[in-house]
Amino acid sequence: MDSIFFYRNPDSAASGDGALAGLNIAIQPNISKAGWPVDAGSRALANFTALEDATVVDRLSRSGAFLCGSTKTSEFGFGLAESRAGEAVKQKIADTELVLDMTGEARLAAAAAGVCGFKPSYGLVSHFGLIGLIPSMETCGVLSSSIQNIRGILKAVAGPDEKDFSLPDESVPDFTAQLINPTKTAIGVPAEAQSDLTDEQRERFRLSIEELSQAGFAVREVSFPEWPLFLAVHKIVGSVEASSAAGRYDSVRYGERAPGAKNWNEMYLASRGASFGTLLKSFLFQGAFFQFQRYTAYEDACRIRARLVADMKNLTGEVDFLALPVSGGASDPNPATLDETYRQFACTAFANVTGQPALVLPPASKGQAPLQLAGPRLSDAGLLSLGEHLLKLREGGK
Amino acid sequence: MEFEAVIGLEIHVELNCATKMFCDCPNNPGDDPNTNICPTCLWLPGAIPRFSAEALEKASLLCLGLGAELQPKSAFDQKVYYYPDLPKGYQLSQAHLPLARGGGIDISDEDGKTKRLRIHHIHMEEDVAKLVHEMEGRLPISLVDFNRAGSPLVEIVTEPDFRTPHHAMEFLKALRTQVRYVGSSECSMENGTMRVDANISVRPKGTRQMNTKVEVKNMNSIRHVGDAIAYEISRQSQAVQAGEAVVLHTRLWDPEKKVTLPMRGKFEGPCVPDPMVPVIELTPEWIEKMRVRLPEMPAARAGRFVKQHGLTGEEAAFLSEDPEVAVYFEALVVRGIAPRTAMHWLATQLLPAVKERKMELASQPVTPERFAALLKMLAGDEINANAAREVLTHLFESGESPEEIVKARGFKQVSDAGALEAMIDQALATQAAAVADFRAGQGKALGFLIGQVMQASGGKANPKIIRELLAKKLNAVS
Ligand SMILES: [Zn+2]
Repeated sequence: MDSIFFYRNPDSAASGDGALAGLNIAIQPNISKAGWPVDAGSRALANFTALEDATVVDRLSRSGAFLCGSTKTSEFGFGLAESRAGEAVKQKIADTELVLDMTGEARLAAAAAGVCGFKPSYGLVSHFGLIGLIPSMETCGVLSSSIQNIRGILKAVAGPDEKDFSLPDESVPDFTAQLINPTKTAIGVPAEAQSDLTDEQRERFRLSIEELSQAGFAVREVSFPEWPLFLAVHKIVGSVEASSAAGRYDSVRYGERAPGAKNWNEMYLASRGASFGTLLKSFLFQGAFFQFQRYTAYEDACRIRARLVADMKNLTGEVDFLALPVSGGASDPNPATLDETYRQFACTAFANVTGQPALVLPPASKGQAPLQLAGPRLSDAGLLSLGEHLLKLREGGK
Repeated sequence: MEFEAVIGLEIHVELNCATKMFCDCPNNPGDDPNTNICPTCLWLPGAIPRFSAEALEKASLLCLGLGAELQPKSAFDQKVYYYPDLPKGYQLSQAHLPLARGGGIDISDEDGKTKRLRIHHIHMEEDVAKLVHEMEGRLPISLVDFNRAGSPLVEIVTEPDFRTPHHAMEFLKALRTQVRYVGSSECSMENGTMRVDANISVRPKGTRQMNTKVEVKNMNSIRHVGDAIAYEISRQSQAVQAGEAVVLHTRLWDPEKKVTLPMRGKFEGPCVPDPMVPVIELTPEWIEKMRVRLPEMPAARAGRFVKQHGLTGEEAAFLSEDPEVAVYFEALVVRGIAPRTAMHWLATQLLPAVKERKMELASQPVTPERFAALLKMLAGDEINANAAREVLTHLFESGESPEEIVKARGFKQVSDAGALEAMIDQALATQAAAVADFRAGQGKALGFLIGQVMQASGGKANPKIIRELLAKKLNAVS
């Protein structure tokens, strides 16, 4: 069986001290650790070695955690094709795993592995050292079987970073566990988020929601008529950002420079052409199309994004949390085409568009689907407490 | 048909910040290749640009100095183009929301009339790497030097208000003076801290149409900008007269052949907002803080010199052009030197002497204190102008005060009437012809006689007293 790891730390775990001492963490090769190869899953970065620690890596190390290696990722972390994210936690090789979430990758990988997956609020965790594609949407996700571990990691890594000025000047949430009172906690279920589900998926999701009602939460259906626009906005804004930002990955100063070109122009084109995979190319082409041919559509999408953020803020003002499915309607679990990839992320992309936090819980029983919970921006601590409350109830019920 | 040109300029000014625009690397592009670099300015994967506060301040001062209005909200975009001097594929530039809008410079046109040349906007951007083309044996190679990558630039984009090469050259000279005044850049086209592109089109004189423009680059001095524009106006006028269409393209100025030649265009796409550099929001308080830091600008200072010190407009403009000269001038006036004397001695003696010695006014040994002491002795008739010029030479070479030099080297002026009278009698006796000329009404003979007496005194005589005594004697005898 081929390894799920791209790189294994040759050092063995040292018994360090700190809040995360003893925690065994896997990362992916799009998260920089000085001296480790970081190819971000792309031939464009083949043999590129990180020069500096990403801020998340630096803070985890300082808190005493051990980084056991990096697991295989999709190209630049977009989609899950050829990704092995989540398997290290599933197989208990690692206690937690860091996975970039730009469309919902960390959450879907967690769902597939049957573990918890958390996407923090945008702006809470430094981007420094993350090799991504969609800067305004991606954030470092955390996978683990234990929400306590996830909380511990957030406590260690969240907060201002002098190396990342893009982080908004906000106070960092207090990640201490909060007491959840189900009767005073309203959970909304957006009807439109289920529209693409198959009958079977719908039934599994209904069972997951039932668990919430049984736990005493005030569950009610809510409406978000513009729900389909989340994916549309992600398609346009995300791909335009990626198309522009991927210019940085030139495959010339590192990676594989294509031989035989007659001049620099040909050399750049040939190297990039030979390095990028088909899915990534379709994604970048789509972005280039909107950037060069339909710029006004891009501007419209930016405006609609602002409106969606405001509408979501209103909705999460009416209820405390949202409950949604995780998987979209894609038939292939690891699709390699752009359309199928988007369908796969139809229920997760909203949080990348708005920057709000979202948590995936594994199903409580065989009949259930994994459950996605979301809250308003910076409600991370409360959201994790809600997840922990539900997991505790499950243990008590056994 | 008579043509007139419509010209607009795009001027890149490199800010003299200590660091680059988005990292802490030294902003010294001239150092050994690839010594001032880091992952951020190499644009390596995982790096994040961190916008420098100093760049914002220097750029803002420059905008205020040119009368432009700082915008409450500005932001960086990714200007996408592919070229080896920009291996990340996009340049951070303010394409949609520039730092400042408006402003302009008043110049005198060919007829001496004031003409306002307006600025459309001023934006910030990062510089790109520098390409060096060499031969490795018989193989041509291109090397990339990243020292310049990420250096802070502002781009000043003017309105198409210019009609002649003269307008462009006067504008650039005034711009250079003003930017030097605020201290944001040296603005030297020769060393590349100011780079000018000119957009030029022609139209029949008297019409208001805007025709297809041609962009001209690669001028290395203000003179070249004038030459390139003049060449391009005549080239386009001839082409239009010959019935050829002018197409939108870029041309390079060849300073040796003195012609512009077409170049291959770069592929450039639209700009998308950069998601990582925060939007810049300037509060009225911050803008006011910058305004307070703004020095008195040359035009305002010249006006004040005319009013306060009684100088002519021309003299005041001359003194105000270089802020160091202006400051030096006022340091003399404060020390009690008459403004006109200060102006005259600064312009005709000190500045040429400093230039001849290849020194800088601010760091050369003739400080305002020493120069003022010298001019005071002159004003007090202790020494004459000849002696003052000689003492000035000594001031460059020795650390002694002007008083000590005058004393030690016997430059003290002879004002003793008795001693001078003997010399005058001697001159009158030996220069009978000149005396006769004077009596015949030739005024300049008096000057000759004064010269004779001065010579006899070894240059130390007080010319005023000689003149008085001579006039008295000549008139008495007649
Ligand atoms: Zn740098």
